[in-house]
Amino acid sequence: MEDEQSFSDICGGRLALQRRYYSPSCREFCLSCPRLSLRSLTAVTCSVWLAAYGLFTLCENSMVLSAAIFITLVGLLGYLHFVKIDQETLLIIDSLGIQMTSSYASGKESTTFIEMSKVKDIVINEAIYMQKVIYYLCILLKDPVEPQGVSQVVPVFQVSTEPLPFPQCNPPPVLSAFPPRLFFSRGGNLCGQSM
Amino acid sequence: MACRGRGGPGQPPSAALSPVSPGSLSASRTSAHNICMVSDFFYPNMGGVESHIYQLSQCLIERGHKVIVVTHAYGTRKGIRYLTNGLKVYYLPLKVMYNQSTATTLFHSLPLLRYIFVRERVTIIHSHSSFSAMAHDALFHAKTMGLQTVFTDHSLFGFADVSSVLTNKLLTVSLCDTNHIICVSFTSKENTVLRAALNPEIVSVIPNAVDPTDFTPDPFRRHDSIITVIVVSRLVYRKGTDLLSGIIPELCQKYPDLHFIIGGEGPKRIILEEVRERYQLHDRVRLLGALEHKDVRNVLVQGHIFLNTSLTEAFCMAIVEAASCGLQVVSTRVGGIPEVLPESLIILCEPSVKSLCEGLEKAIFQLRSGMLPAPEDIHNIVKTFYTWRNVAERTEKVYDRVAEEAVLPMDQRLDRLISHCGPVTGYIFALLAVFNFLFLVLLRWIIPDSIIDVAVDATGPRGTWTHQHPHSEDKVEDSGKCKTR
Repeated sequence: MEDEQSFSDICGGRLALQRRYYSPSCREFCLSCPRLSLRSLTAVTCSVWLAAYGLFTLCENSMVLSAAIFITLVGLLGYLHFVKIDQETLLIIDSLGIQMTSSYASGKESTTFIEMSKVKDIVINEAIYMQKVIYYLCILLKDPVEPQGVSQVVPVFQVSTEPLPFPQCNPPPVLSAFPPRLFFSRGGNLCGQSM
Repeated sequence: MACRGRGGPGQPPSAALSPVSPGSLSASRTSAHNICMVSDFFYPNMGGVESHIYQLSQCLIERGHKVIVVTHAYGTRKGIRYLTNGLKVYYLPLKVMYNQSTATTLFHSLPLLRYIFVRERVTIIHSHSSFSAMAHDALFHAKTMGLQTVFTDHSLFGFADVSSVLTNKLLTVSLCDTNHIICVSFTSKENTVLRAALNPEIVSVIPNAVDPTDFTPDPFRRHDSIITVIVVSRLVYRKGTDLLSGIIPELCQKYPDLHFIIGGEGPKRIILEEVRERYQLHDRVRLLGALEHKDVRNVLVQGHIFLNTSLTEAFCMAIVEAASCGLQVVSTRVGGIPEVLPESLIILCEPSVKSLCEGLEKAIFQLRSGMLPAPEDIHNIVKTFYTWRNVAERTEKVYDRVAEEAVLPMDQRLDRLISHCGPVTGYIFALLAVFNFLFLVLLRWIIPDSIIDVAVDATGPRGTWTHQHPHSEDKVEDSGKCKTR
């Protein structure tokens, strides 16, 4: 079973959410955003080169031009390899754990696995981020020393250039269905199975 | 579901919200407002303004309005927090400049405040305290965005010294196009109207309130063999600590069974300690130092007479609290104090040592002759005077009135600024208002209102918080899920 919905992220970009139901205890959520558009690539490259050319006419040093080319290339590679995320997948298997995979535009993939015994809760939280106030989904990890405490907060779905966006619509679909404290119960709700 | 609890038909043409108002605008109660309280002063900071905002918000929530509070970050307390009954508080990361008031440039807070106003679908901005730069900033931005504005003034000012002149000028600019202003007493209203050159018709008087259940008398806690005078105030010049240092030795010589308990901290504490030292009154004058609000009642019930020596006061909460605890109040006749309590419960004196001593002697005489009513009776009279529910009801009327008024469009606002605030200041602030508007246009271009998330209402007509109550059947499946929490 599979369905697909589209949302916009916090900057108004488009996001597609795919949900796959493998079995009652296993689900996959996949959030993908459009690939790097030729338009923005051209715009950035042109502006860097124009600035470099302006500088070149001022100081008449050809080093500026080669530096600009070098910077553009390195910047593009770095952006594709470390910043631009094309797809993020959240695979949840009840009783086993949560696997988060992000695939970058360069093809690099990074995977994190969180054991279900370490997960304390999954919550949607509100935060002030830059000049915005946003909702984000995160996983709370149990503190091994103190069972009631939270040792770490792991944000999920860091798609697009923003570190903590949540697929946004008016209001976010998951939120409208949940009480104000915005807690999911552990595993159970996400996998559609009570613990 | 996207649009919750808007102002209803009385809604003015609000440019800020129009792109996102869908056709599903439900016929919500016309009287339900989305209110945003803005002030630099809020919990965990303690004081009159803070508790005023909190109590008023709670009572407004009870009346079915949506209320949020915006303040600046206090230490590690930043971000978004929920208080009792889903009162949402935004602690914004803005720099604190002086005395818990943020620095202002009139512009830097616009992006965040606009984001909050849009995502919370705020219709009325209610700013508190003229000392708070953030409150004035919010008023300025709200007017640019075309939202209704209300301002509550909590203090009295002079007219003579440089700082008052400057603050008054700023207040004139800030309030000249504000929809409505609330003052805590008639004296405060007069003062504000004069300071800010306002039309008195847009100024309402709504007094502060006390929670009478927090201040109940307990006659068994006091010793009837001696007479105890309680003073609870900050020990600063404004509160008349110098007068107090004159009264103590005079009366202690006259009445050997007179004791003083003084609560509060401040730069003038040293004077009281000197007096105590010089007249050897260590066993009769107790200095308690700073008191927490919850401890005030325990101090008050130990005394028979409450003395207030303030030199200026917009609305004295302390004397209401004392009277609610059943004490006889002796106070200076300054500011709004004569309006606060009826003649029978208060002895008013001129702010001089001689007059205050006479007032205290009169109180002591009444006490000895048994002419004073019992503490329980005083409490029962006072508890009906000032309640937060009453304050909320009256504030709601102000909101209803404001919601029907139109916000000044940009050109009229500029005219108002130029004609009201003097040639130089007027033009400067008109220019700033134009810049602010252009900044807003830029922000709207970068992040259009339509892509800003709508926040989940915790309170208000569609508040999710109230759905926790068992009477909402449609949330049964949710409560089933909640069990596993």
